[in-house]
Amino acid sequence: MKYKGFHRMICILLSAALVFTSLAGCEKKGTSGSSGGAGGDDSGGRAMGRYMEEELSLPAEFSSIYDMKKLEDGSIRIAGCSEDRESVWETKDLGISWEKVYDFPEELQDDVRDTAVSSGGRVACVYDEGSDADMKEIFYLMEPDGSFGRIPFELPQAEELYVNLVRQILFVGNDRLLICDDQGIFYLVNAADGSVVRTFEFGNSENMYAAFAMGKMLLFQSISEVLLYDSETGEQQSPGEAMQNGLAESGMIRAADTLDAGESIYYVTEQGMYHYRFGGSVVEQLIDGELNSLGSFSVDVGSLLMLDERNLLAAKRDGNEEAGARAGILKFAYSEDTPAKPDKELKVYSLYEDNSIRQAVGGFQKEHADVYVHYEAALSGEDGMTVSDALKTLTTEIMAGKGPDVLVLDGMPVETYAEKGILRDLSSVIEENKEEYFEDVRNAYRNKEELCAVPTRFLIPMVQAGSAYYVPGEDFDTFTKRVGALENMEPEEVISRFWYSSSAAWKKEDKTLDESRVQEFFEGLKRAYGDPPEGAEKKEDSALPGTDIMQGDFRLLAGTWNISAGLFGSNPDYKFLLAVTEHLDGGDFGCMPGQAEHVFVPSVTVGISSKGSQPEAAEQFVRYLFSGEMQKISQGSGLPVQKEAFRSVIDGHQYEGNTSWVDLEEGIRFELAPRTEEEIQKLMGLAESLKTPALQDEVIKEAVLEQGEKVLRGETEPEEVAAAVAQKMNLYLAE
Amino acid sequence: MMNQKMKTRGGKDLRGLLWILPSFLGVSVLYLLPYLDVFRRSFTGAVDEQFAGLNNYRNVLGNTAFLLALKNTLRFTLVCIPILILASLLCAVLLSGSKYGGMIKSAFLMPMALPAVSVALLWRLLFHSQGLANQWMGRFGMEGSDWMDTGKAFWILVASYIWRNLGYDIILWMAGLSGISESIYEAARVDGAGEWQCFLRITLPNLKSSLYTITVLSFLNSFKVFREAYLVAGNYPHESIYMMQHLFNNWFQSFSFDKLSAAAVMEGGVLLFAILLLQKVWRMD
Amino acid sequence: MNFRLHLGRKAVWSLLIVLALLAVYPVIFLSAGSLMGADELEDCLGAVVSGTEGYASFPVLPKYPTLQHFAEVLLDSPEFFVMFWNSILITFGVLGGQFVAGTMAAWGFARYEFPCKRGIFLLYIVLMLLPFQVLMLSDYLLLDRLRLLDSLWAVILPGMFSTFPVFIMYRFFAEIPDSLIESARLDGAREWQLFWYIALPMGSSGIIAALVLGFLEYWSLIEQPLTFIKDKSRLPLSVFLPDLTMTGKAGFLFAVSVVTFLPAIMVFMGGRDYLEQGIMAGAVKE
Repeated sequence: MKYKGFHRMICILLSAALVFTSLAGCEKKGTSGSSGGAGGDDSGGRAMGRYMEEELSLPAEFSSIYDMKKLEDGSIRIAGCSEDRESVWETKDLGISWEKVYDFPEELQDDVRDTAVSSGGRVACVYDEGSDADMKEIFYLMEPDGSFGRIPFELPQAEELYVNLVRQILFVGNDRLLICDDQGIFYLVNAADGSVVRTFEFGNSENMYAAFAMGKMLLFQSISEVLLYDSETGEQQSPGEAMQNGLAESGMIRAADTLDAGESIYYVTEQGMYHYRFGGSVVEQLIDGELNSLGSFSVDVGSLLMLDERNLLAAKRDGNEEAGARAGILKFAYSEDTPAKPDKELKVYSLYEDNSIRQAVGGFQKEHADVYVHYEAALSGEDGMTVSDALKTLTTEIMAGKGPDVLVLDGMPVETYAEKGILRDLSSVIEENKEEYFEDVRNAYRNKEELCAVPTRFLIPMVQAGSAYYVPGEDFDTFTKRVGALENMEPEEVISRFWYSSSAAWKKEDKTLDESRVQEFFEGLKRAYGDPPEGAEKKEDSALPGTDIMQGDFRLLAGTWNISAGLFGSNPDYKFLLAVTEHLDGGDFGCMPGQAEHVFVPSVTVGISSKGSQPEAAEQFVRYLFSGEMQKISQGSGLPVQKEAFRSVIDGHQYEGNTSWVDLEEGIRFELAPRTEEEIQKLMGLAESLKTPALQDEVIKEAVLEQGEKVLRGETEPEEVAAAVAQKMNLYLAE
Repeated sequence: MMNQKMKTRGGKDLRGLLWILPSFLGVSVLYLLPYLDVFRRSFTGAVDEQFAGLNNYRNVLGNTAFLLALKNTLRFTLVCIPILILASLLCAVLLSGSKYGGMIKSAFLMPMALPAVSVALLWRLLFHSQGLANQWMGRFGMEGSDWMDTGKAFWILVASYIWRNLGYDIILWMAGLSGISESIYEAARVDGAGEWQCFLRITLPNLKSSLYTITVLSFLNSFKVFREAYLVAGNYPHESIYMMQHLFNNWFQSFSFDKLSAAAVMEGGVLLFAILLLQKVWRMD
Repeated sequence: MNFRLHLGRKAVWSLLIVLALLAVYPVIFLSAGSLMGADELEDCLGAVVSGTEGYASFPVLPKYPTLQHFAEVLLDSPEFFVMFWNSILITFGVLGGQFVAGTMAAWGFARYEFPCKRGIFLLYIVLMLLPFQVLMLSDYLLLDRLRLLDSLWAVILPGMFSTFPVFIMYRFFAEIPDSLIESARLDGAREWQLFWYIALPMGSSGIIAALVLGFLEYWSLIEQPLTFIKDKSRLPLSVFLPDLTMTGKAGFLFAVSVVTFLPAIMVFMGGRDYLEQGIMAGAVKE
């Protein structure tokens, strides 16, 4: 009874909280409702006007463009690096013709750290001289005519740093240079005599600041704040709260420019291009990065140049692996009669983030101004979303008619979807130029006359070993008769790698699992694995073991493993595969022996939803994925199904003319050179022979992995485990 | 006066309906309407929505997975509810009228407050093949096992259910017990009845009326173990704990709305039948 | 005889106490875990969470208590607060609705006669017992029509009209003596006054019991938010980390777990007496 008062109080508090929160809930609803309404107006009113992107042609292939400025006479001057040589170029007609102003002087050719161009056409550069402890930063100034001399400025020695280096240089106007060192101190220096006009220090060197110059105004940006200074008076001004808040949403500024000597700023972030008048109350988004390459994840913008309010240039660097880093200049021009937002929205969905799809989305977007491509990868890994949760959400969305148009089916129950009529027949989409593709791979999911899902890439289960352990072409029995061939591997690794070549043979005609074959599989692997080593330690991390064949190479070379097995393709380093093979005693590589033959693993399998709202755009997108351009991109998702692209990914063409050797610790070296025709043909032949798609069933795979481990550890008998797997799976298959 | 008119028969009807109207409207829109949609779907194809007659029902009844799930769910209900009801009755009788009963009662109620995620985390640590349970068993010289992957999973589920709901049911019983007036006992004791006889002759018959509520609520709570089973063992747990909700879940994922709807309609029917039966049993007294 | 009975009592009581401890143990277990440093946890639970050899073990109290994990949860995870706030909104939104619609309906069922009353009440019970998966798709389509998807209302609204609190509260209102209501009527009380001045105060323990049970239920809701809400900034705490296999994050999980169940335990302890009375009164009649 003593607590009665306490309880009553809690009840009162509870009811108060209840009333309060339900009111708060209503309020929230009110605001979200109104903002939703505003969004609705936008789409209804069909706002017109959008900046359209095109790429300027450049006189050469640049690996980077350091800086870009418009001179008084209207010409545009860039400093860049092309074929390992720094040079300065100029165009008077927006890139139709380019003229080389000069190459950098010979003595500056190595180790250029940063370069800046002034509005008067001067170029300043900083390069590293000496090495290690003697390293020094040397500054040079090149006049518009190419004459050059050293700027007598030296960075002070920093006590806590080994050597003090330059982080960034940029011109402020034509005469002054802003230099940022590793301590985070900015020096405003007269370019002519190297005298320091002013320094800017922001407390600690931990927080990195980047500087941007708009006329005489300087903007410094760190992760947490933006600061604005007048470079002439050194006076600090407030950039305005709206900008601070805007940046929190749009991400960091990558490049900036002004048209009014620093009254306002145009800047680019990963989300697009923005305009802001300092002190103003709104940041205006002029370009939505999602609609062009500004938002593409591989593109970084190094400098921005406003020609006028409706035309601008952006120097970009594209980090796409296959092409190597490539720099270019994007031109954006405002087009009044293009709708601000594309009319159609094409939704692309995958469970796992896939870079090749991400890339294709950007490319497709650029080519189709009328389509807005929305790519969603459901499993970000940040939250507790499981595959099952994601698939359930996907199901509801598809049934509500709000689902995606293009599905990347990796990790999804493809056959079930096809059976239920969720996926449309793609036969007509991939009908053209069949001979250019590995057709057996593309038809992995063909079911009678319907083709509902097509892999755009594939991986090859392979084994690589000396002749004592593996002979290409042998069957599972012969292979696994060599007791101990698989010793020292982790049990889960053995199962997860050999799963691919055998699982395709497990399903019976009536769609149940063939228990005897599962048992054979476990028996074979157990035999080849041998007795589990005494007191074997389980691996520290329980993360899913990798399946790439390349991961085993070092252990193969070191003699820990007798064979290396896994999937070839996610990292198609053919030269490395060959180099390792050469190093083995009678080494060779080939298809992974298994209960099924000529197995491949479909990857980035796409399908078109039969309930999607943009069937045509979806078809175009799928076609685009099969285009040579997209197929040649190698982003770790597998080998291209287009033969020409396949060849270009493995043939090492990028090393043509600059062959070099790479030495590895194990005494193995390999040549960075184009592959010989014989080598190319060997892999092409292997790919041509592939017929059987691996069983792509996550549920079965999980059960087999979990159970199989026990067999190899000697905890259970293959027979028992096979029965357990079959029982579990037949339940699943019966659903 | 108005007030008096309202008291007439017709007025009464109207007033009652007015009170339940807000709730009934909400229930109709948010529960009944969807259920009718499910009913409609049970006669059509999964995705194309073509009329399929009774095919879906036929498919469901012939589906081995459904039969297994049905068997497990029935087994679980039939095992759990009697155990829970008896155990809680026993505890309630012992605790009632005792000074320290309150504290112990609170302890029993505690598990009810734990969110499913926390409980699932616990299960993992306890019943993993290298978990705490096996360690304890090892100490006593027994051999451990991979709990969740054997038939024991079922009993873990039963234990978990009882652990979570024991307090709840104890209180339900104690309420029933407190409703029996002390004077009846006294009269019986005067007649020379022992404690055991009192329990059999007085306590039990008087508690019969609580049984209905306790059974319905226990039944309702028995569905909630699915959340933990799902969080711990995923979509395809050991076959002994493969419940109706697992099947529904998996059907949902694979677009098998035809079967899902048909099974749902049947489940609704079975529930209705069970409730009617319970009410009948309860009203007989 | 008396002595034997005494001994027997003692044994029974010890057994009860052991059982009670067993029931509370998990709460202690989770709390202890949340206070352990990463190394201690790794030592104790390494076998389960990161697959090292041997068995997991667990002491009752941490050897080197630390608030490190709580700091991580409360200071370094801004999303945690957003989710916590969402949980509050969802739970109290639902309870607010149940309080209004539920009490009224329960009062209506308990005190008035109208056609189809039995049938409707039966329907309520059956709907209460149907698992969520059954109605999931249709619910989704409906909420989509109502343009409620992806907002907290998608979870709140169906919760508000859950029939469970009606079932619980019904019994309390039915218990209020008829004579009381009749005499109030004779004194000229209007129907809403009866509800306001008699039903709510007299049924308060039932109402609170229903709300506490509702709190426990909606505080740990998982399926509904995951299905109806896609926007990650609108998800509640209960779906924060259902993924329990994360390596090296056990301490974090424990702490999240504790922070998640703490409000539930608090509400539970606060409403315990009413809950007991509530559950009780439900069982007395009928």
